[in-house]
Amino acid sequence: MNNRTSTFLTVLNGVICGFFFINSFFFGRFFTALRTVRKDVVQGILIGFALAFVISQIYARIKATKVNGWITMFGLGEPGNGMLLRAAHAQLFPGPVNVPQEAMYWTTSGDGAGHTLSGKHDYIIHFPSGGLPPNNAFWSLTMGDAKNHFVPNPLNRYSVSDRSGLVPNTDGSVDIYLQNTTPTGHESNWLPAPAGNFILWLRVYIPGAAILNGEYTVPPIVEIS
Amino acid sequence: MMTQMEHLLLFGSFMVASWFLFTYFWPRLLLSVFKRAILVKGFGDGPIPVNTLYTESQTLFADPLHAPASASKLATTGVNRDTLMTAGWLDLSKGPQVLHVPDFSGRYYSVQFTNPSSNINFAYVGKRATGTQAGNYLVSGPGWEGQVPSGMTQISSPNNSVLVFGRVLVYSDSDLPTAYDLSKQIQLAPLSGWQPRQ
Repeated sequence: MNNRTSTFLTVLNGVICGFFFINSFFFGRFFTALRTVRKDVVQGILIGFALAFVISQIYARIKATKVNGWITMFGLGEPGNGMLLRAAHAQLFPGPVNVPQEAMYWTTSGDGAGHTLSGKHDYIIHFPSGGLPPNNAFWSLTMGDAKNHFVPNPLNRYSVSDRSGLVPNTDGSVDIYLQNTTPTGHESNWLPAPAGNFILWLRVYIPGAAILNGEYTVPPIVEIS
Repeated sequence: MMTQMEHLLLFGSFMVASWFLFTYFWPRLLLSVFKRAILVKGFGDGPIPVNTLYTESQTLFADPLHAPASASKLATTGVNRDTLMTAGWLDLSKGPQVLHVPDFSGRYYSVQFTNPSSNINFAYVGKRATGTQAGNYLVSGPGWEGQVPSGMTQISSPNNSVLVFGRVLVYSDSDLPTAYDLSKQIQLAPLSGWQPRQ
């Protein structure tokens, strides 16, 4: 489930619950003496489920750290998390993901200006000199289509990373080209995008202290004209 | 006949109980999808029996666009081109399991132990947690009180069910066979009848 689907479901469920509550409490509909017990039980369970989804989605977005369009969460999979936080983590990072000391994950479906990432446009992510993610294992930037699947491309390249032979600029900074067509002269730093919308995953394994204490910020994705 | 207020109370109690249960069990519901993927579907080579580890095939890693038709959808959900996956589901109710890891000589790898009822990682074996030398780890369930064989490190699980998830770094396409050989050597065996490897 990608970010936009879950936003849609959150709003939809929220509207259904809100409609139900407003009608019940302000207009006295639904809860009349003619109701059946069965209806109370079934509606209670369904509205409770919808609220569980909506509340943990909203809580996840409150607890998530969003910088330059990138979303991450600290404390995934750590002992001591309460039930609401565990549910929130499972919403945004659905899987047996690592604790922060082992790996940190960032994801985005939008550029730094908040526009949806799409293969119709060309983008750059610029890491300043010495600004690649600090780590004691590896880092990678992986491309996914709108459904979080790999993107077919002529190079069979699905990610760029500390192992993929990125060529730095003369000042030591690194530009990664995110686009559907080959950036002439920059093939080594090209992460092929699909024709349609896409998302990105940044992974940093055994992240450095600057990441764990929140000092490190991932640079924004910038659309180039 | 119930009054309006009684209906409201009945509805309200079920709503609160349902909210609590779904929130509390959400991580468990999520990981039950993984349990099913492991024990029922597998990732292309058939179901993965309980207390055994599956190693992601080189073919699936090299060509992630064409997963085997029999594989669980989880095999192609999410995009990861860094590590070869190892996955398995433990049942420790009949006794502990021994996890053997080979010498990774500095290469990044990790084996994550997740409590499937809370999605909490209660232990790690790997470069960060234990180093990259070869080793044997005794994974025991709650209440197990046997003797830990010498040379083994004990990992106590709070739950008899454990989701084991391993990751071995692949440096490049040409490194894939080496990474796979190492991944394959991450193995489980029951403590009863366990023999030290040469």
